[in-house]
Amino acid sequence: MALRTEELMLNMGPQHPSTHGVLRLVVTLDGENIVDVQPDIGYLHSSVEKMMEYRTYVQNVALTDRGMDYLVALNNEEAYCLAVETLAGIEVPERARYIRVLFNELNRIASHLVWLGTWGIDLGATTVFLYCFREREMILDLFEKVTGGRLHHVYYRVGGVYADFPEGWVEECTGFLDYFLPRVDEYHQLLTANPIFLARTRGVGVMSRQGAIAMGASGPVGRASGVAQDIRKVAPYEVYDRFEFDVPVETEGDCYARYLVRMEEMRQSVRIIRQALRGLPGGEIRARVPMTMKAPRGEVYVRTESPRGDLGMFLVSDGGETPYRVKIRAPSFSNLYALTEMMKGWKIADVIAILGSIDIVLSDVDR
Amino acid sequence: MSLVGRVIRAAAALGIGLSVTLRTMFRHKVTVKYPVERLPVSHRFHGLLALPIDPETGNDRCIICFKCERICPDRCIHIEAEGKGKERVLSRFDIEMDKCCYCGLCVEVCPTEAIVFVPHYETSTYHRGRLLYALDDLHAAAPKEPVATGIIKRRRA
Repeated sequence: MALRTEELMLNMGPQHPSTHGVLRLVVTLDGENIVDVQPDIGYLHSSVEKMMEYRTYVQNVALTDRGMDYLVALNNEEAYCLAVETLAGIEVPERARYIRVLFNELNRIASHLVWLGTWGIDLGATTVFLYCFREREMILDLFEKVTGGRLHHVYYRVGGVYADFPEGWVEECTGFLDYFLPRVDEYHQLLTANPIFLARTRGVGVMSRQGAIAMGASGPVGRASGVAQDIRKVAPYEVYDRFEFDVPVETEGDCYARYLVRMEEMRQSVRIIRQALRGLPGGEIRARVPMTMKAPRGEVYVRTESPRGDLGMFLVSDGGETPYRVKIRAPSFSNLYALTEMMKGWKIADVIAILGSIDIVLSDVDR
Repeated sequence: MSLVGRVIRAAAALGIGLSVTLRTMFRHKVTVKYPVERLPVSHRFHGLLALPIDPETGNDRCIICFKCERICPDRCIHIEAEGKGKERVLSRFDIEMDKCCYCGLCVEVCPTEAIVFVPHYETSTYHRGRLLYALDDLHAAAPKEPVATGIIKRRRA
């Protein structure tokens, strides 16, 4: 006769160091087996979409920095500026496009480094956290020299970018890339070679390809499950179509596959940055757009590839100085809801490993 | 895999990992003892806002055009002026630094480079009232040589 068991409901968060922000997970347990996980969100809701309706097109760039995903401020600015430029039909100078691509990719590396470091800590690897933040600090210094900000830049403008590189920046950036590539190998030596790390990630939290598509998972989470879609390839924006790079795709769909995809993405970002630095054209960096610009009546939806996935920006204009309605399609939100799919049947100890592998940022989930 | 094989693999993995940390140990140190040592910040750094004094006139360069007040996304700049024509003077120039998001739009739109960023970032205080920077504070915050002025204008010139 089997022992009768009783299901237990456990609240994890919203104040929990491993949920990477104010996320509450309602975990239903049978012993230590997970029966169900329901994420409860809304603790970091900043109503950025509504706030954007009360600020002009120029001012809104400052909001996209912190109201959305705060780790990838430049990719958010990219999505917003691209939407306004498409709506108003503004031609961005060639040099500004290259600079934007360059900074998007630098920010992608910085974001993946934060993810790798914090995920390492989640799994008990403290060293890799320290190393990742050491390299990220260098990227932030590179940002600071150009934009003046470390996390919140307000660097992109509608019609270009704010300022050109200072003297010697390009050499410094090249130097960083030369320094950074061997460091990726070091992370591999610290983690990929480690049997404890493999035991905690390989085969854990599997999501099928169908599941990924059904839940709308995009970015590295989707690509780890075999959804070979990268907006930079399928619908190139800015000048991504001019660069050679590969989109890493894995088919296992487990935590380890998600890890491999992001590690390879960092290498590919270095490739893109190198090509952008080599082909950097001269000339203007900003089209003439008045500070009190008005967008014509209409609506637009643009998609960009943020480090977390498919970042969409829907903009409706009634012809005034401020947008009539803004809707942000946040990649973290869809990826977070794939969590239930991944976690069913795993042990309570795997919750942290699986949650960390999705790489969520709660301000992106709630907006 | 047999137990012996697993032990050997684990020992090898440990060796690989420790060799990385050992190599790092002999590399250049990157940390600083913060309050004692400080890292230099870039001259474009978005720190405190200031109104530098023009040595020629002995006053700031503000022409009271209200452009910065209007562009501020957080509406944290408050300007009032008195007088008419040439006698028009600033009677109030307050910046609520607790609201400021350090976006730099005010620095960008200023036609006379009257408002600038200074690379000072330690502005935390125990009293909220001290984060209201009045005209005198903004004058005092400015260094002798202004930094981070409007980059755009210099580029176009």
